[in-house]
Formats: sequence, C-alpha cells, structure tokens
Amino acid sequence: MIEFLGEVAAWFADPATWSGRDGIPVRLWEHLWISGVSLTAAIGVGLPLGLAIGHTGKGARAVVAIANIGRAVPSLGLMGLAFIVLLPLGLGVGPLPTIIALTALGIPPIVVNAYVGLREVDRDLVEAARGMGMRAGEILRRVEIPIALPVILAGVRTSAVQIVATATLAAAIGGGTLGQLIYIGFNVGDQVRIFGAALVVAALSIATEIGFATLQRAATSPGLRDRAYVPTEPAQVGRGGADSSP
Amino acid sequence: MTIGPVDVDWIVDNLDRIGGLVIEHLYLTGIAMGIGLVISAGLALLVRNRPRWYGPIIGFTGTLYAIPSLALFALLTPLTGIGTVLTAEIALVSYTLLILTRNMVEGLRAVPSEAIEAAQGMGYTATQRLLRVELPLALPIILAGVRIAAVTTIGLVTVTALIGLGGLGYLIVTIGTQRGSFGLTATLTGVVLAVGLAVIADLALQALQRALTPWSRGRMAAA
Amino acid sequence: MRTNRTFVLGAALLALVVSACSPGEDESPGASAGGGSQAADLPTLTVGSAGFWESAVVAEIYAQALEGAGFTVERQLEQGARDVTHPALVDGQIDLMPEYIGGYLAVTYGGEPTPDIEESLAALREELEADGLVAFEPTPGTDADGFAVRQETADELDLTTMSDLAEVADQLTWGVAQECAENPNCGPGLESVYGIDFASLDVETLGACSTAIAEALNASNIDVAQVCTTQPEIAGFNLVLLEDDQGLAPAQNIVPVVRQEIVDEAGDLLESTLNDVSALLTTEELTNLGAAIILNGESYQDAASQWLADNGL
Repeated sequence: MIEFLGEVAAWFADPATWSGRDGIPVRLWEHLWISGVSLTAAIGVGLPLGLAIGHTGKGARAVVAIANIGRAVPSLGLMGLAFIVLLPLGLGVGPLPTIIALTALGIPPIVVNAYVGLREVDRDLVEAARGMGMRAGEILRRVEIPIALPVILAGVRTSAVQIVATATLAAAIGGGTLGQLIYIGFNVGDQVRIFGAALVVAALSIATEIGFATLQRAATSPGLRDRAYVPTEPAQVGRGGADSSP
Repeated sequence: MTIGPVDVDWIVDNLDRIGGLVIEHLYLTGIAMGIGLVISAGLALLVRNRPRWYGPIIGFTGTLYAIPSLALFALLTPLTGIGTVLTAEIALVSYTLLILTRNMVEGLRAVPSEAIEAAQGMGYTATQRLLRVELPLALPIILAGVRIAAVTTIGLVTVTALIGLGGLGYLIVTIGTQRGSFGLTATLTGVVLAVGLAVIADLALQALQRALTPWSRGRMAAA
Repeated sequence: MRTNRTFVLGAALLALVVSACSPGEDESPGASAGGGSQAADLPTLTVGSAGFWESAVVAEIYAQALEGAGFTVERQLEQGARDVTHPALVDGQIDLMPEYIGGYLAVTYGGEPTPDIEESLAALREELEADGLVAFEPTPGTDADGFAVRQETADELDLTTMSDLAEVADQLTWGVAQECAENPNCGPGLESVYGIDFASLDVETLGACSTAIAEALNASNIDVAQVCTTQPEIAGFNLVLLEDDQGLAPAQNIVPVVRQEIVDEAGDLLESTLNDVSALLTTEELTNLGAAIILNGESYQDAASQWLADNGL
C-alpha cells in the first residue's frame, strides 16, 4: 500500500502529468469551464422558473414531477442521448452534448429549491407587503427572495456539486474533462493514474461543495442561519451534497 | 419495424440480452441497498446512543457523497481490483449511507416525546420501545430516504458500465454511443428502462409505506 | 393491525435479502444455454467474447458451428476487455474465445507482433502454451487499426497511403481513441513508423472503431478517423481507408483460442470444425457481418446463423 502511494506521489511529481492535452491543467480547466457554463445555464433557466412557480404557488405538481424525473434519469443516459442526437448534426464532437446534458441535470435542484424556499416564506409577511402597496416584483425582490435565499442557494449548491461531479463522465462521450484521465487509466489498466486522477477529481468536488456551502452561509442573513432541513418530501433533496446542516 | 427513430425489431431480437442486463442492474442495486440499509441502521443506532457522533458521521458520508462515482470507483480500484463487483458495491453502498443514515436519525428524532413517554409508562423495555413505537412512527421519514436512495442507486449503477460491469449502462454507453446515431434505440431503451426501474421502485416503496403506516395516509400525502 | 404490518415488513425484508442473494457474479449479459443435439462424449463448452460486435458475432458463429457438430455450447458474450476475458479463459470460466493475433500478443503478453502472420502467430502460441491455451488456424480476414478520411479529402489532398497522410497530418483534425497516445498501434506508432508528431496534432477523442467516429468524420467534425479495417461504416459512408504502406499495423487475423484441457477432451472434431469456419472468414465477410449487425440492427444470433447458412456450414 505504501509502495503504491509512493507511485502515486511519483505520478504527481512527474512533469508529464502536468503537460500536454491530457495533462491535469488542460483537463482541469476544461472541467471547470464546462461546469461553469452549465451551471450558469441551469440557473438561467431554473431560477426564473422556480421563482415564478413559487411566487404564484401554481404548478406544484410540475415541480414535484421535475424533481422526480431529475432524480430518476441517469446522467450517463442524458449524456449518451445528447451525444447520439447531436452526432449526425455535426455537433456531437466536443463539449456541446456534455453542456446540454449537465444543464438539464442542474435545473431540477434549482427549480425545486426556489419553489420550496418561496413557499416557506410566511404568508403573513407577503400579505403585509402587499398591504403596503408593493407590487409582485417588489415583494419578490424585497421580501420573498431574501427570506428564501438560504434555500435557493442550497439548490444552487446542490446543482453545482452535481454538475461538477457528473462532468467527470463526459469522457465516455469524448467530452474530455478530468474524467478523461480516469477513463484512459481504466482503458490501459494504469492503476496509479486511475488513483491519482481520481484524487484530483475528488478534491475538486469536495472543494466545490465546501466553496458553495461557504457562499451559502455568507449570503444568508444571520437571523436565518440556523435552519436545518429534514427532507420528508423527496422533492427537497437533490443528488449532490447535503442540504441540512447538522 | 421502426417507431419514429426507435428500431423495435432490434429490441425484440435482443430481448435476451436486454433482460440479462436488467437483471444484472437489479442485482447490483439490490446488494447496495441491502448492505446500505444494514450499515445505516447501525449508524443510526450509534447516533441514538452517542448524539455527538452525528456531525462527524454526516460529514464523512456527505464527503463520500460529493465524490463523483467514477472517481470513487477509481479510488477503490487499487484495493479491490479494476472493474470488480466489490469495487462497484463498496462505492454504491457508500452513496446510500448519507441519505439513509440521515433519514433514519431524523425519523427517530421526530418521534413525538409523548409517544416515548407513553411507552415508558407502559413498561416497555428500550428495545420494545424502539421496535413497537419509535420505528413505526419514524417509518414515513425513513422510507422517504429509502426511496431517494433506491432511485439514486439505480441511476448510479449505470456508471458501473464504464468500469466494465454490465447493467443498463452497458446498453446506454457501450452499445449505444459506440454505434453513433445507429445506437439511439439501444441508448433510449437503456434510459427508459432505468427510469422505469426507478419509477417502479419508488411506487413500490410508496405502497410499502402505505401498507406499513396506515395511520399516516391522510396526513403525510407527499411523503 | 400489528400482525399485518409485521407480516408486510417481514415480507419486504425477505424480498430485499432474496434480491441481494440472487445469481452469482458470473451472471453475464449474454449467458444462455446452447441447444443442439446431445453427444454424451463431447464436452460442454463455454464460448466467450470481448465487448464489441465483431468478437461477439465471430464467437456466436463458432458456437453455432460447434452446436451443429454435436457439442453443447454455452455463451458468455460481451464480457468486456482482455483484462476480464483473458483471466476468464485461463481460469476456465470460458473455454473458447476468438482473439486477434497482434492485439493479444501485444496487450496481454507484452510481445511485439509484426505484420508477418506466421511470425506473430508463432510468438503468440508460445505465450499461450504457458497458460494452457491453444490457438488454431487463423482467419484470412484481419481487423486492424487503420485511419480513414472522407472521399473529398482524399481527392483534394491526393491521399491513398498513410505516408501521403503523414505529409499533411498537421493540417487536419484527427479523431482518435482516448488512449491513443499510449497505444503502440496509434500515437507512438504514427510517430515511429510515419514520422507524425502526434503531440502537436489537432485531436478530438472518440471511441475508435465505432460508428460514432465514422459519423463524426462524415459530418466533418474531424478529418481523419481511427477506424478498424472491417468497419462497415467505411463503405457505408464512402470513406477512404488509407493504405498502411509502412506496416504500422501488426497481423490482426482472428484465431480461436481454446483451453488445452478442452482440446484434449474434444479431439479433432473441435479443431476441424473451428478451422473450417475460420477459413471462410475473410475481411470482406467480417465487414459484411458488421453491416448486418450495426447498419441493419440484426442480432448476433441471426447474423451468425445467416452467415453459416450462406456458407453451407
């Protein structure tokens, strides 16, 4: 075991590991920008949708359906389908199928949490705001969202972790990312590389989880910080990351 | 015969193979869920006796959960072999632990104190109390966790195809994407079956919950 | 009622335990018992294959031919790559597998196959003997790694051989397998045999020898694709396979590899049946089988039985 870890250390120390198109820097950057684009797109689609449904309270069933479908569809399947559909259109090579699949994957947690977060805002507060003459947009902006923020951010965090984690699988459809290093490792049976690359991926995922958790905590106003979640409805929990703080 | 882009003849011709892959998929899922339940139950009981362990346990299982499946398979490989069922199962079990343990603990904690006091008043031993009072009342939350874990695991088993195991991931990636646009039938079949399995598991567990907790039928409609 | 609930809970747990104790690890995607006439003195064989269509259909052809000769055959097709199939063969979980001379020698035994069939086969047989395995006669057909371009590209740049391609290599986008940089038949081979600086090429990674890479080539996402020479898509998409004029690819004829024990038990019938089949598997036949399976969506069983019927076996 010690011997093996030594080999892994040697792999990290080897300059070849850090150079070239299958080196860590190239693939890491690819992993990050693909994840970033997908997360941004997921927020762009999911947040307005979730806020709209949450504010009006209509379409709850749609939300539950979205959440359940989002969890039931295997991410590898989404990537495979995107790849196959885009291939004859000349768009299957490169990051596009991966980005589309990751965006689709990232939308459910954001929609669901935006919806749940808004629904949990005390109705009296909303009524009071309405009584003060605020319009819907103002209520949303000045009352609902600030209160729902921790939950909304938990959704973004879940989505981000899920996207960063799933991006690893892109290698299976030729989409690269850090998963490429692991994938090649398995294909050639290089256990040292498999392990080393996996460490990098794991570190990135954990860093993403912690990073967004910190962001979530920082952006939550102190009075709302201690809310713990008990997921009784499956709709509330996404695939990545815990959104209850013990 | 094709229905839209789907080559139904191919599906019919390869029914054997597809069936075998579904069974393999269920088998991998079943083992993970079975072992996961046992370990989580143990962890939940541990937390019951030593509440201070809850934080670290959630932290540890949560960290495991954040690691992408392919990476976790890879990390286990030097220990348990490339593409072995053991490697896959250790990882799959790990992914169930966070949800199952958390829901078991929270479920038990959510049991109303009056019920516990009543049980104590009736002279139940701790074990009797756990089995006859706390567990049944905690069941809705626990089963909600089991449902999530089951659906998640079914999805994760597809990834095992990348390390050489079978299951529906084989249909989706190994057969499907290799055949380019000719693989649409295979991939679509794999995805539909995976979703189908997840839906069936979810519904079956919901039915189980209703059967086991008849008093909660009206109240916990969404759970 | 308490008893009802307990019963349901017990039943559920039982179901869970039963599902966890279901068939052992050897349960494979394609396992099924073979039919065929009973011959008490002929051993039962398990035929295996690697995880791609060509290996599977050749294995199925062998299997059906053997059944026709009176053997009882079980199949474990599509078991994955050599890291799974080779140990399975050595351990006896499978008894017969179609293998490629060059690939087997290089990947599993670390040998150095050459384009010379006799030489490579002899070297392979030597290695196999140590593992208690035997290789019968090779097929005339081969399936090697090759590189293909679109017809227009070939016309425009006047390409017929790999040497021609080497001259314009850096002007084109290459589609290769993920592990090309480490596969002696790919990256390093291109460098040492054709002088192509692989590291500086514009590269996209896709599954080599797949329909996907052929489609990507066809859609002009890439200009050169790493293909397998029997890929039906080459003809299907009107692609041009470049001639390996400097001999980069090793001999990749298919040989049936059998466990020595089974050979001893089965006698000459096994060898002659397999050799008769192999002799008719030309590169063209292999490609046609590929077309049937991939482009027409036939199953391995159907394609195999059709082929055997067409060839009077």
